[in-house]
Amino acid sequence: MNPRVVGANLFVKLMSVYREKTTMFFALAFPIILILVFGTIFMSQDNVNFHLCVQDLDQSKSSKESIKALELNGNFKITEVDPAFNATQYVRDNKVNLVLVIPKGFGISLTRRKVFNDFRASVTVTYIYDPSSSSVSTKIDILNGVLAGVNQELSGMPPFIKSVTKSILTRKYRFIEYFIPGIIAMAVMTLSLFGTVNLNTELRQKGIIRKLSTTPITRIDWILSDILYQFIIAVVSTTAMLLVSYAVFNASLHINAWLPAFILLDVFAFVGIGMILTRFVKEAQSAAAAANAISFPMMFLSGSFFPIELMPGFLQTFAKTLPLYYVNEGLRASMVFVDNMTALRYSAIIGVFAAVVFILGIIATKWEEGK
Amino acid sequence: MTTETEHAIEVEKLTKRYGELLAVNDISFTVNRGEMFALLGPNGAGKTTAVEIIDTIRTPTSGKVTLLGMDVTKKKYSIVRRIGVLPQGFSSFDRITVRETLQYYSRLYCCRNTDIDGLINLVNLKDKTKEQYKNLSGGLRQRLGIAIALVNDPEVVFLDEPTTGLDPRARHEVWKVLQGLKKEGKTVFLTTHYMEEGELLADTVAIISRGKIIAMGSPRELIENNANYQILTLQSVDEIVFETVRKIGFEPVLNNGKNIKIRVEHSDDVQKILNAIKDAGASLLSLDVRKPNLEEVFLKLTGEALREGPVGGKGAE
Repeated sequence: MNPRVVGANLFVKLMSVYREKTTMFFALAFPIILILVFGTIFMSQDNVNFHLCVQDLDQSKSSKESIKALELNGNFKITEVDPAFNATQYVRDNKVNLVLVIPKGFGISLTRRKVFNDFRASVTVTYIYDPSSSSVSTKIDILNGVLAGVNQELSGMPPFIKSVTKSILTRKYRFIEYFIPGIIAMAVMTLSLFGTVNLNTELRQKGIIRKLSTTPITRIDWILSDILYQFIIAVVSTTAMLLVSYAVFNASLHINAWLPAFILLDVFAFVGIGMILTRFVKEAQSAAAAANAISFPMMFLSGSFFPIELMPGFLQTFAKTLPLYYVNEGLRASMVFVDNMTALRYSAIIGVFAAVVFILGIIATKWEEGK
Repeated sequence: MTTETEHAIEVEKLTKRYGELLAVNDISFTVNRGEMFALLGPNGAGKTTAVEIIDTIRTPTSGKVTLLGMDVTKKKYSIVRRIGVLPQGFSSFDRITVRETLQYYSRLYCCRNTDIDGLINLVNLKDKTKEQYKNLSGGLRQRLGIAIALVNDPEVVFLDEPTTGLDPRARHEVWKVLQGLKKEGKTVFLTTHYMEEGELLADTVAIISRGKIIAMGSPRELIENNANYQILTLQSVDEIVFETVRKIGFEPVLNNGKNIKIRVEHSDDVQKILNAIKDAGASLLSLDVRKPNLEEVFLKLTGEALREGPVGGKGAE
C-alpha cells in the first residue's frame, strides 16, 4: 500500500463529490428524510391514542360517566355519534372502523348491580366494526380489557392475579431510539454499495480505469482509497442523521467507539461487495439494478426498519445470514443497550465477513483488459 | 532483470485473438530509442489492440513484447513507471481542474519534482489551469491527456489516436506538442488513421491492415517503394475531359464528383494529357501535380481506402 497514492485518490474523490453538490445533498438527505418520516409516524406509537366512536343510546348520567372514563383511560380519543343515526350506516359512510353502541337501560342496569347488588342485571354493548381494517382488532382487544376491568370492579372482589412490568433497560426507550441505529447501518450500506458500484462503473465506461491501469497504482491502493472515501462520507452522513435525531426527536443514544467501528466495518463489507459487483456489470444502468437487488432485501429483511421477530421463522433465519443484520444489532447493542459483549460479538462476525469480501473485492477488481 | 538495448520496443510474432476474431496476426517490428514510430491503419485494423498489448493494458494471446528490455507480461509494474500512455478515447475526472489532474497523476507515480507548470506550458494550457475537465473542449482534453502521459518524464510515450475527433485547428495544436516531444528526444509510439499525421510526424511508419503489418519504413521510403508515380488532379466544368483522358489510355478517377485524379508514371504524361484536352476543345479550372502520399500507398497495398469504413471486424480495435 502506498499512502501517497491512496491520499491522491482520496483527494480526487472528495473534491469531485464536494463540487457535485446536488449528488452530495441527496446522498445525505435520503436517510434524514427516512428518519423524519418514520420518526414522525412511529413517535405516535409510543403514545398510542385510537380514535373511537361511541353511540350512547341511553343518554343517562352513568353512560356519560362511562364514556368519560374510557377517554380518561388514555387509549382513546372519543367521538360521540348521534343516537338518531344508524350505527352500521355510520361506519360505512364515515370510513370509521368501529362504533361502540351503549344500549338503552345502561344506567338503570348499572344502578341495579351497584346499589342493589342485583347480579341478574347486565347490559350488552355492541361493537359495530369494519373487519377489513387492520387496527380494529387492536381497538377491540383494548376495549375488552377495559370492560373486563369494569366487570372485575363491579364484582366487589379484589383481583387474584396482578401484574407489573419491568424493562430490561434502565430507562424507557422510544421507537425512534431503536430505529436510528438501523437507519445508520442502512444508510452507510447504501452509500458504500451504490457509491462504489456507480463510481467504478462510470470510471470504467469513461476509460479512466484503463488509463489508471497504465500507472503504478495497485488494486489495494484503489480499494483502500475508496473505503476511506466512503468512510468519510458515511461519518458525515451519520453525524447529520444524529444531529437531526437529537434536534427533532430529542433522541437519547449512547455514542461511543463502537459507532465509528461499526461504520467502518459496514463500509468495508459493502465496498467489497460493490467491487465484486463492478466486475460483473458493464453499464451504469445495470450497475444500479444490481446494487438495488443486493440492497433492497438487505434493507427490509435485516431489521433496519422493523424487528425481524415480526417475520416468519424461515425469514428470521435468512435475516441472520445477512451482513447488515449484524451491523444493525451491533449498533443497537452499543447505542441503545450499552452491551459491549454483544457489540463485540457482532463486530467480530461482520469483521470476518468484511475481510472476506474485501479480499474477494481485490481479486475481482480488474485493471488489465482482454485477458 | 532488464536489458538495455538500442531498441525501446521489440515485438516478436505478436498475436491477439478474441474468440474467432484475429485482431493482431503475428506481427513483428522494433522501435528505436528516440524514434517517433507511427502505426498507421484504418479503423478496426488492430492498431489499438497492438498498442494496448505493448503498453501493458492488454495481454497477448501469443508472441513476445519487450519494452525497455523488459517483458511486458512479466514486468508490468516496473514498466509503467517508465512509460507514459494516452489511451484511445482518453477521459479524466469531470470535476477536477487541469492543474489538480496533473498533480493527481504525478502523485500516482510518487514524483515529487514533476514540473507541472512546465507540462502546462508544453501543451499550452496555461490559461486553463483552473478549468475543470468537463469544461474543456476535445482538443484541450487531448492536450491534457498528453501532459498526463508525460508527468513521470517517461522514456517511451504511447499515444493512441491522439487527434481523432478533433477539428483541423485542434489537430494542428496537438501536432505541435508532438513535434516538441520529438525535439526532446522521447521515444514516441503513435497510432493514427490520418496519413498526413504519420507522414508529418513519424520517423518510421508501419502500415497495419486486418491485424497484419503490410509495409514498414520511413514515409519517404514507403512512398518511393510503393508509389513511384505522380498524381495529376484536374478540375473542369467540361464533361468531356474525363472521357478524353480515358480515351488516350489513362485511368482517371472522379473524386468528390468534380476532381479528376490521374496516375502519371512518365514525365511526359502530363503534357500528353493536357494536349489531348486542348485538342478536344475543353478547358480546365485548375490543375495540380503532386507526389503520392501514404493514403495512396495504403490504397495500392490493400485496395482499400485508409479512412473510409472499418476493415476488420467489430472489436478488432
